[in-house]
Amino acid sequence: MDYLITLAIMIGLSVALASSFNLIIGYAGLVSIAHPVFYAIGAYVSALLARDLGLPVPLAMLCGALAAAAASAAVALPSLRVSGDYLLIASIGFQLGVLEAIKNVSVTGGAGGLTNIPAFLVQDGGKGAYAALVIAFAALTVWLNWRIAHGPYGRALSAMRDDETAFAGLGRNAVAMKVAVFAFGSGIAGLAGALYAHYFRFVTPEQFEILQSAALLTMVVVGGVRTTWGPVLGAVLLQALPQAITFVDLPPAILGPLQGLLFTGLVLVFMVLRPQGLIAAGEAWQPAKKYSAKTRGEA
Amino acid sequence: MTPVLEIAGLDKRFGGIVVADGIDLTLNPGRVVGLIGPNGAGKTSLFNLISGVFPSDAGTIRLDGQRLDGLAMHRRASLGLARTWQNLRLFPSLSVLDNLMVGPRRYLGDRLLRLALDPAGVRAQEAGTRRRAEEVLERTRLSGVAATPAADLTFGQQKLVGVARALMNDARCLLLDEPMAGVEGQAYEIMQQVVREVAEGGVAVCVVEHNVAFIRDLCDEGVFMFAGKVLARGPVADLIADPRLTELYFGT
Ligand SMILES: Nc1ncnc2c1ncn2[C@@H]1O[C@H](COP(=O)(O)OP(=O)(O)OP(=O)(O)O)[C@@H](O)[C@H]1O
Ligand SMILES: [Mg+2]
Repeated sequence: MDYLITLAIMIGLSVALASSFNLIIGYAGLVSIAHPVFYAIGAYVSALLARDLGLPVPLAMLCGALAAAAASAAVALPSLRVSGDYLLIASIGFQLGVLEAIKNVSVTGGAGGLTNIPAFLVQDGGKGAYAALVIAFAALTVWLNWRIAHGPYGRALSAMRDDETAFAGLGRNAVAMKVAVFAFGSGIAGLAGALYAHYFRFVTPEQFEILQSAALLTMVVVGGVRTTWGPVLGAVLLQALPQAITFVDLPPAILGPLQGLLFTGLVLVFMVLRPQGLIAAGEAWQPAKKYSAKTRGEA
Repeated sequence: MTPVLEIAGLDKRFGGIVVADGIDLTLNPGRVVGLIGPNGAGKTSLFNLISGVFPSDAGTIRLDGQRLDGLAMHRRASLGLARTWQNLRLFPSLSVLDNLMVGPRRYLGDRLLRLALDPAGVRAQEAGTRRRAEEVLERTRLSGVAATPAADLTFGQQKLVGVARALMNDARCLLLDEPMAGVEGQAYEIMQQVVREVAEGGVAVCVVEHNVAFIRDLCDEGVFMFAGKVLARGPVADLIADPRLTELYFGT
């Protein structure tokens, strides 16, 4: 039972991460793979505030999310002002820099990881409640992303991706929108990190490396970029499949590489057979019903 | 009459290429000015300088007395400057209606906080924008294709969408870059009528166009540009009749 609860929590967190990452790289078209570093910032900030300063965990989590959002805005604003291309470099540099700092500072526990993170809800059989909380958070993230993508904001993002110059020429502030989306998505990642930290009560810097970036990117791309359900599907599949084969009774020496192979193999198969992902996004922007042009119709 | 747009001493060069050389130009409310000149004269570049696609090297640009130069492109548009593009630049992933819906000067839906805290306000504004867009589509005879992806229209219709989208700004000053190029038949008539109506509404309009008939029928005045300079300004008929300008226009 504990195992399934933990799996559900991992899947919920992956869904939130993939969905918010999709908002950034898919809907906003921002080229960044540094999502895990904001996951890390949320986890570490929340853990440290709760453990060393005694903040109540929910408040610490909120601070973790805000710290991730603020850090992402600080990375995005100067680079996006110059040009969209700088974001990739700046954000990877930031990811490597932050992880390096975490590894070398004593307050974060260094490379060995941060231990004794205060638990939340988990005592006396509250694990199920924690899983429910995480799943509710994941569902809320998916719903918010859907709302954003198919409302006036999504329309504007779509126009911005099509032609940023024409977009600015209409009076829309592309840089502000990009920074806002980036901060929002990163804030979600930060909250996911905080939720991770207070459940597992132990985090290490290596969980947030470039490998994690690749895994998240795979979830979004295999599932279907710029769709509501694609990243959800991708997250569930890529989180559950490697777990599923642990049920097969294999020695760990084979299991590890097998999981890696499965993961890479899946990506390769998709690249060849279904590059648009499991769920394909249409070319056209789809408004939510209340914003639809079709109501007036071809009168 | 106080001018809407006032340009003084505008300079711009790209390396060795001078695209604007001491340009002075005023646009007045309710008047349509035709900007003519040979290929490469710097007409589009002048629009780019006014709208802020790239910064000028020297000179001032004022809209209703307010300095535009130095402002970001989106700020200039939100002060009431609208333009179209020689190469259309529509949003192909959006329907015709949604192309227009992105165009109003104020757009509350592009702020996440606003969406979260005041969804009713955003929805009300969207409804208003939509009514306005439907009105503009009516005027440009595009109502029938409102739900069609902009990329699926005929070229003439796409040109009209470009102008319709610019009209959403309710601009004080409207810059049209070759609205008639490749446009014929009904779209031609509609375009002419729309531009005239806009000017009658008190907007200062400037049209770049190679179609001489269009310029002559529509414009109150012409401005002749060559090699980044304004060489002459006056009645269109006079400019066309000037052998010196005709020679520059057609080359020797
Ligand atoms: N961003 C730029 N960088 C370098 N050179 C440029 C740039 N924009 C314009 N030019 C140059 O400036 C000159 C004027 O170009 P512009 O497009 O303004 O001419 P135009 O009068 O609009 O011509 P046409 O009638 O063909 O549209 C050209 O020689 C062009 O190559
Ligand atoms: Mg031109």
